[in-house]
Amino acid sequence: MSPTSAVLELSGVHKTYRLGQHVVPALQGVDLRVRAGEMLALTGPSGSGKSTLLNLAGLIDQPDRGEIRFRGRIVDGIGESEATLLRRDAIGFVFQSFNLVPVMTVADNVDYPLFLTGVATAERRQRVAQVLQAVGLSEHSAHRPDALSGGQRQRVAIARALVKRPALVIADEPTASLDSHTADQVLDLMRERGHAQGAAFLIATHDARLLRRCDRVIDLRDGRIVAAAAPQEVLA
Amino acid sequence: MNLHDHPRDALPSAKGERPARALGSALRWLRFATLNTLRNRRRSAVTVSIAALGTAAILLAGGFALFTYQGLAQISARTTGHLIVAKPEQFQRDEDTPLQYGLDDVAAIKTQLLADRDVLHVLPRVEFSGLISNGDKSTVMLAAGIDPDAEFAVKGPFLRVRAGDVLTSGQHNTVMLGEGLARSLKAAPGAGLTLLASTTEGALNAVDVTVKGVFSTGIPDVDKRLVYLDVDTAQKLLVTRRVSSLGVFLSGMDATDPARTRIAAALPQLAVQTWLDQATFYKSVKELYNRIFGALGLIIGVIVVFVVTNAMAMAIIERTREIGTLRAMGTLPAQLTRSFALEGLVLGGAGALLGAAVALAVSVALLVFPLEMPPPPGRSNGYPLQVVMDGGLYGATLLAMVVLAMAASAWVARRTVKKPIVDALAHV
Repeated sequence: MSPTSAVLELSGVHKTYRLGQHVVPALQGVDLRVRAGEMLALTGPSGSGKSTLLNLAGLIDQPDRGEIRFRGRIVDGIGESEATLLRRDAIGFVFQSFNLVPVMTVADNVDYPLFLTGVATAERRQRVAQVLQAVGLSEHSAHRPDALSGGQRQRVAIARALVKRPALVIADEPTASLDSHTADQVLDLMRERGHAQGAAFLIATHDARLLRRCDRVIDLRDGRIVAAAAPQEVLA
Repeated sequence: MNLHDHPRDALPSAKGERPARALGSALRWLRFATLNTLRNRRRSAVTVSIAALGTAAILLAGGFALFTYQGLAQISARTTGHLIVAKPEQFQRDEDTPLQYGLDDVAAIKTQLLADRDVLHVLPRVEFSGLISNGDKSTVMLAAGIDPDAEFAVKGPFLRVRAGDVLTSGQHNTVMLGEGLARSLKAAPGAGLTLLASTTEGALNAVDVTVKGVFSTGIPDVDKRLVYLDVDTAQKLLVTRRVSSLGVFLSGMDATDPARTRIAAALPQLAVQTWLDQATFYKSVKELYNRIFGALGLIIGVIVVFVVTNAMAMAIIERTREIGTLRAMGTLPAQLTRSFALEGLVLGGAGALLGAAVALAVSVALLVFPLEMPPPPGRSNGYPLQVVMDGGLYGATLLAMVVLAMAASAWVARRTVKKPIVDALAHV
């Protein structure tokens, strides 16, 4: 896949939620294109539709209307099993509160996506060791997540998202639980590893430091994209 | 990358996986399940304990029932013989006169029976009813004419001798009385009595006998009527050379059905019944115990299912967000359901193994330190409390416990693992 080819394309995507008798429009005709290797930030106030857009992009939710293409293939309306396999093989997730499995060691958490895809044990060991070394957690591979600091846990989460070499990483407020120094480390890591692997990042964030490091920033308001530009322009 | 570049399912059921990889995958899921059961150790300990108690209760109750069945089966076979050979009418009709349907050519039949490879002994039996009198008082008796030496040699001490001695072959005109009958007639060993019965021709006949001993069968109602005497004395009283039936004693209980088939083929003019055909008490007890212990097993099974269900339901609610995370990462609902079923396997399996160990320990302790059960209704003798350690019972119980625990866990998990991922991730 060339660096300019689209990993993800959303065209005229609508999504509404029902809250009791009220219908809340979360996304209203969103068009978006995420290129391979691109780091794209989603920003906007609470309720603007960032999380909904991430859910649709991560194939864990379906739009009401519109079209979603993942690597050229129309994926809105595919069955749950197919979506699961697609996520398993090509999409990584980084959550705000890490969402590591507490009973698994660091190495097992990182290994889990490879285990799911059926990668051979020897190759899994090698790739887990490589990615843990890349995130600076080799010495903690046998530790449980509760023995790590917040920054270390988020690095484990990033390692877990990147180990299967996904085409797209969905990250929801990845620095929100971290202090500024740790957040910088995590951002550097995402940027460096993402570029190295050619993975596209779609990141929902309010963090200005993170926005500055992205290739593009999408500003969402009331479920619509109101600005899509380089960080310097949006933050100016 | 194509959607189907990788196997769809990393669980061992996946097609195309090599056995070693499938085993590694299964062990990984099992380890994950085991670690999950250790998250809340107290809750898991309670679940395992209840599963262990349930397993032990089923094994002990089932083992006791088996001991009872085996004991009653042995007693039944020892009383009648493993096989009973007689004329077909003997089993089908009531006699108008004593030994109307008795066997005539006993020696020839006995020789033919002893030729079978599994037949060890053939004991004749003359059964009739009549009156027994001490001169002042007469009462009804149920008499059994036996070959004393062979009977006691084959059956062992099947009677509890309360006074005097057992009968011996060649010593005619002697009897053993049930203790209730002896009490009724005020007869002690050495006392003289008279037996009265109809002959095979319908005439009344009498013979004077001496009491050799007093016994107890353990059943008071039987002891009030039963008289043992030797076959010759019985035949002299009934004025016949016939016997009612022949009791055939085999090398073991297992030989019963094959030997029956062979003997029935060899003696087509006669009918052959097994001890089971005549063991009405055994069948009644077995039917009763099967119902009692079946209901007990059912109740215990339901309790175990509820306990496992409750424990797993709490665990699953606590882990809803994690389930959402694993689903987002590409775990199939079926994989998660199987993972929860494996947690049930760990909890149920640990409980079942612990329960089996407890049941084994109790069973062995009862062998080392015997306990006596009180006499059952209608009996005068107690019996030992023992528990059979049967491999089949243990295997079936452990398997049932594990399957129930796995099914309960999978059933509880089925909805949460299919919950929309967005909702699962938002679960607090």
